[in-house]
Amino acid sequence: MSALATYSAQFERYANALTAAERAPRSVQFSRFLDSGFPHKDLEDWRYSDLTALNERSFEPDVSASDDALPDLLLDGADTLVYVNGQVHPASTAARWHSDTCALPPPAVGIDALNAAFAAGGLRLRLDRGTRLERPLQVLFCSRSDGQPTMSHQRHLIELGDDAEAIVLLDFSGTGGERLSTHFFDIHLGRNAKLQLYRIQNEAAGGTLVTRIDARLSRDARLEGVTVDLGGGFVRHDLDLALAESGAETTIAGLYAHARQSHIDNHVRIVHAAPHGTSRMNYRGLVDEKTKAVFNGKVVVQPGAQKTDSEQRIANVLLSRKAEVNAKPDLEIYADDVKCAHGATVGQLDAVALSYLRSRGIDHDTARAMLLRAFALQILDRIEWPALRARVETALHLPAELTLDIDA
Amino acid sequence: MLEITNLHARVEEKEILKGLNLSIKPGEVHAIMGPNGAGKSTLSNVIAGREGYEVTDGSILFEGQDLLALDPEVRACAGIFLGFQYPVEIPGVSNMTLLKAAVNARRKHNGESEIAPNDFLTWVREQAKKVKIDPKMLSRGVNEGFSGGEKKRNEILQMLVLQPTVMILDETDSGLDIDALKIVSDGINALRGPARSTVLVTHYQRLLDYVQPDFVHVLARGRIVRSGGPELAKELEEKGYGWLEAA
Repeated sequence: MSALATYSAQFERYANALTAAERAPRSVQFSRFLDSGFPHKDLEDWRYSDLTALNERSFEPDVSASDDALPDLLLDGADTLVYVNGQVHPASTAARWHSDTCALPPPAVGIDALNAAFAAGGLRLRLDRGTRLERPLQVLFCSRSDGQPTMSHQRHLIELGDDAEAIVLLDFSGTGGERLSTHFFDIHLGRNAKLQLYRIQNEAAGGTLVTRIDARLSRDARLEGVTVDLGGGFVRHDLDLALAESGAETTIAGLYAHARQSHIDNHVRIVHAAPHGTSRMNYRGLVDEKTKAVFNGKVVVQPGAQKTDSEQRIANVLLSRKAEVNAKPDLEIYADDVKCAHGATVGQLDAVALSYLRSRGIDHDTARAMLLRAFALQILDRIEWPALRARVETALHLPAELTLDIDA
Repeated sequence: MLEITNLHARVEEKEILKGLNLSIKPGEVHAIMGPNGAGKSTLSNVIAGREGYEVTDGSILFEGQDLLALDPEVRACAGIFLGFQYPVEIPGVSNMTLLKAAVNARRKHNGESEIAPNDFLTWVREQAKKVKIDPKMLSRGVNEGFSGGEKKRNEILQMLVLQPTVMILDETDSGLDIDALKIVSDGINALRGPARSTVLVTHYQRLLDYVQPDFVHVLARGRIVRSGGPELAKELEEKGYGWLEAA
């Protein structure tokens, strides 16, 4: 069998069930995918992340809905929309934000085209002007794999009207063996709209997860994002933000930590297309054992985007000899009255601080955990949702007594 | 309490301590003085078990047990406290968290249960008052943004909270103005007692005006070259170290 043959067979089966009108655009996407294949390291954006191994793999599409009991992942106080392997789960309390259908992009390439060819619907959160989501919305994507590897592909939409506000958690969690899932999110924020967007990823070691968020911010809109990667096999996350109108503001914080042998690739791109935009990007990585982390942060200031105020900070700590980090901050400025700062560091755990803590009686492992948490704290502090923060801290295996901040 | 015999130690490839002997009994205060580079800080760090110091010969017995065989955290739990010359800043770990982890590590070592949160707070507040540290500062990262004097007072606070059996203070007086020196000395004196021993490593006589030593030793070229009473410190202050080094 030639490369990608199994995908062709799957697509044929999938497309046969569609109407001719549905099939045509998807066939275009699929042939584009066949032309490009999975992304490989010769592509600048995929230099450190090669997915060509998937060319020879075989994944069945998921068809059956699951009503299995859910792992203990639902957060108190939130409305929930739950997908298990791409299918809506009956535990969802916010099924009204689910849509069976989705809009397809213009003919794409690579993973984008693969996703578009197979894409099912997913989250469709639309808030009218001036409305506010009463409770945070937890969108849980559970990947489960036992037996034949499966794949699912979804496209999602978040659209906030002018002055609308929402808190949304995109929660990716996996158990079991090999699986492929892709998710594309389109986000539109109206004037003065505000979105707090969390993305937590804790896939299984056999999981391949490719996610992409495209967001467009109108005048004075605000997007506050926090993204945390805790596991996964191969994880690629693209975050592409366009500050399209004057006064838009975004603050993005990211943490990748605790993974043991994952490939975690974060690509963040912020485009300042209008004046008076503000962007803050702060990513921190604790890279341990055989994990390979890739971070690519890019800020583009387009002509006319005067008074742009932008800052990107990337800091990594390598915790093992076999761990690897490729961090690249990037800045392209085409306007002259702007304030832009960037910096990236890769270091090791502070041996002097470790020895200081031990000299006070604290054992090596606890002292190390305290310092890891200290490093991650800037990002953890950005999680303003207490139940979510507690879950992340637990996932990081930080001793509970050390995560309580005590006031004297 | 502490019995140091024929101690040889090196840092990297350089031999610093060359056969040092020192015997400290419960309740005694010993001052170690000496010129720069004599090995004063090395001695403190070797007792505390800091990494990077290699003992090549000799022994240290603490209450009869082989101190050198213990990890630094075990030494601390057993009652050894080193007040650092240059206390480190640890942003992200608050002073309170450090104190609580340290107190509980010690209790665990002694087979006791964790301290009750209220008892802990009351205890820390009481000690903080003694060294004039505003409790608000304790919510900040360890020594984060503290002045030189505040860092030294914070070392004394940790010592007051932990109530060690052996207090080793490595140039705790350096860089202190007279008010801070007084506070630090009061802290040390508050802990003096028949069951507790003190080692003051210092360059100057000044600290010894506030904390009266029982013995003064001069450390030069990796050995104790002269021992005496408090009057020896005054003699050193007048004559410097040259006459001893030449001897």
